[in-house]
Amino acid sequence: MNAAVRELSYAQAIQEAMSIAMDEDSRVFLMGEDIGVYGGAFGVTGDLIHRYGADRVMDTPISELGGAGVAVGAALTGSRPIFEFQFSDFSGLAMEQIVNQAAKLRYMLGGSVSVPVVFRLPTGSGTGAAAQHSQSLEAWFAHVPGLKVVEPTTPHDAKGLLLAALDDPDPVLIFEHKLLYKVKGPVPAGRYTVPLDKAEVRRNGKDLTIVASGIMASKALDAAKRLAEENIDAEVIDPRSLRPLDMATISQSVRKTHRLLCVYEGVKTLGIGAEISAAIAESETFAFLDAPIIRLGGSESPIPYSPILEKAAVPQVDDIVARARELAQGRI
Amino acid sequence: MATEVILPRVDMDMETGKFANWLVKEGETVKKGQPLFEIETDKAAMEVDAPAAGVLKGICAAPGDILPVGATVAWIAATDEAIPSVAPKGAVAAGTPSAATKKVPGAHVPAQTQEESLNSRNEHGDDSVRATPLARRLAREAGVDLAGVSGSGPAGRIQARDFASTTLTLASPGSGKLHCEWLVRGEATPIVLVHGFGADSGGWRPLVMRLGTNRPILALDLPGHGQSELAGAATFDDLVDAVERCVEAEGVRRGHWVAHSLGGAIAARLAGRRPASVASLTLLAPAGLGPEINWTFVQGFLRARSEASLGPIMRMLVEDEAALGNALVKTTLRQRQERALEASQAAIADVVFPDGVQAIDTRSALSAYSGPTKLIAGRLDRIISPNYARNVAGSVGVHLLAGVGHMPQLEARDLVARLTLDNIAAGDRAAP
Repeated sequence: MNAAVRELSYAQAIQEAMSIAMDEDSRVFLMGEDIGVYGGAFGVTGDLIHRYGADRVMDTPISELGGAGVAVGAALTGSRPIFEFQFSDFSGLAMEQIVNQAAKLRYMLGGSVSVPVVFRLPTGSGTGAAAQHSQSLEAWFAHVPGLKVVEPTTPHDAKGLLLAALDDPDPVLIFEHKLLYKVKGPVPAGRYTVPLDKAEVRRNGKDLTIVASGIMASKALDAAKRLAEENIDAEVIDPRSLRPLDMATISQSVRKTHRLLCVYEGVKTLGIGAEISAAIAESETFAFLDAPIIRLGGSESPIPYSPILEKAAVPQVDDIVARARELAQGRI
Repeated sequence: MATEVILPRVDMDMETGKFANWLVKEGETVKKGQPLFEIETDKAAMEVDAPAAGVLKGICAAPGDILPVGATVAWIAATDEAIPSVAPKGAVAAGTPSAATKKVPGAHVPAQTQEESLNSRNEHGDDSVRATPLARRLAREAGVDLAGVSGSGPAGRIQARDFASTTLTLASPGSGKLHCEWLVRGEATPIVLVHGFGADSGGWRPLVMRLGTNRPILALDLPGHGQSELAGAATFDDLVDAVERCVEAEGVRRGHWVAHSLGGAIAARLAGRRPASVASLTLLAPAGLGPEINWTFVQGFLRARSEASLGPIMRMLVEDEAALGNALVKTTLRQRQERALEASQAAIADVVFPDGVQAIDTRSALSAYSGPTKLIAGRLDRIISPNYARNVAGSVGVHLLAGVGHMPQLEARDLVARLTLDNIAAGDRAAP
């Protein structure tokens, strides 16, 4: 039904997903700082407070720990809360609730409970918001058994992954890149879900595999277009979900291309790309590698305020093109 | 852990730097941040500080050396700590263009020093062959020794492309089916032609024209040669087995074997193994009767990538260079490029001619065979000197041809045809 596919922005797609969920399921409600009348730090909740009322679109006090604790408790007792952080950087304040409570209760109580909470975390650099508002912390949470961590790239996936997260019985963290909120793309109307454990092949290629999620997937696609002009045919895999990681799709691609470039905005050391590299290196796919696995990650520094330095601190299209070229040409 | 001291990039455009002098001597203790050495760039001379505290060891840069950015110049380690082996100065000698022009990508990527890598391959032999996992797997499956493959990757790392094609499916040793062709069909006991190293069955045509058409002639391609499947060989017997299977599959139970060079060694081994299947044995410039072989030829042949290099090498095969036309050089080159034969042939050379010595000895096989045997060789053979002829049993007819090199079947085709037919006739007379 093509007629039902509209061009929506990433932010609109997320809002639509929340609206569909609230229409369908009275257990669903939203929590967060300034998500009500203000419409959210990035305008994602918009006018939802007027459509669903302050009971279901709840402004919380400036206490991430308190708000996240209420959300986890509500989930534990049968509700389906969606908790929005203003910036993913503030999730550190709620670490106890996310990591020690939400992630572990199912295990500690022998499977008798689950915590179906969804956390939405605006992430990443590029807005000039400096060190405390620009981090990419998804690897912190992807390290924790019991959590699911997704990083949508397109408006389509942003909506489908949020609805899938609400269907899931366990805590899911959705890292939404701030620079993607205004990016538009085709979004089907109505309910659909995108699986929480399936990578997407964004571009088929044969010369190397670039694994990148979120905004890095779109940068990788731009890089692949430029590489194609040089007759380098890059395959771009968007994991979408960082925990669980769909290593099968990545492995399959590497077995075809024999080269792997992992691109991620988070700090390079111990980041998502490090995990993917290691997983490939210790698997049977190792024997299909024809070059070292290369990580292209964020710099080993806080995100600087200066726009020039901010750009330099995370992988850009030029960087991806340069590394991919070297890799495909056998120069690394 | 020992800290590598490298030539730093001190200027955006800098690709190389001139090493000026050490401010600390080998074995002296340094503090982190202490001035360690001086370099000169196009624009300025400057001091470089010690990146760590410890003892300065393994100095491998001297005043005046032009070094690429990222080159190791020394190590800082604990007093009793061993340091990684470092390149001798020769590798980073002043003005080495290959080392000097390579750009080190990414300022914060620790520069891999090229000289370290280049040398580790040369100095440590087989264990330190640099190869990607894929190249290793392909080589393992093909039975190819990677030491014989030259790598095109950084620091000589062998990549799959060095096997000419990543889609190449290399058969396992000995399992490769051989290509063979009946040049003449018929009912009598057939002639079986086995070519030498680096050649193929097509090379027999001048002789075949002179052998007549009244008996069948079968010509085969050795593993990794001509149209046969690409395959290495774990042992010399793998080659012999492959030939034996091929001939059996063609229904040949007994044949007159005419074989050249490496093929001669194979035929002799077969004759010793199964004398009844060999009606007569005609060996042209055979291998396997002595340890010597022209290593320059073997290596040069495997390494040659162009007509300019392959031509002179191949002309070592003959005494009168006019006997070997450029067409054969071109054909050999094209075939090797199209089918990526080098890896297989290099693997075979490693087995039969390791380190330039013939590791195959077919003298006992030859003495175990009592059928008619002729050995025909050129007195001026530059590949395998015919000195070995004096070692063969008295029953073997030895013909040393004057003015002929390693290719008697090409250089003295009429005479070789006559001698071969004589031997075949003797074999027919001796038939059980």
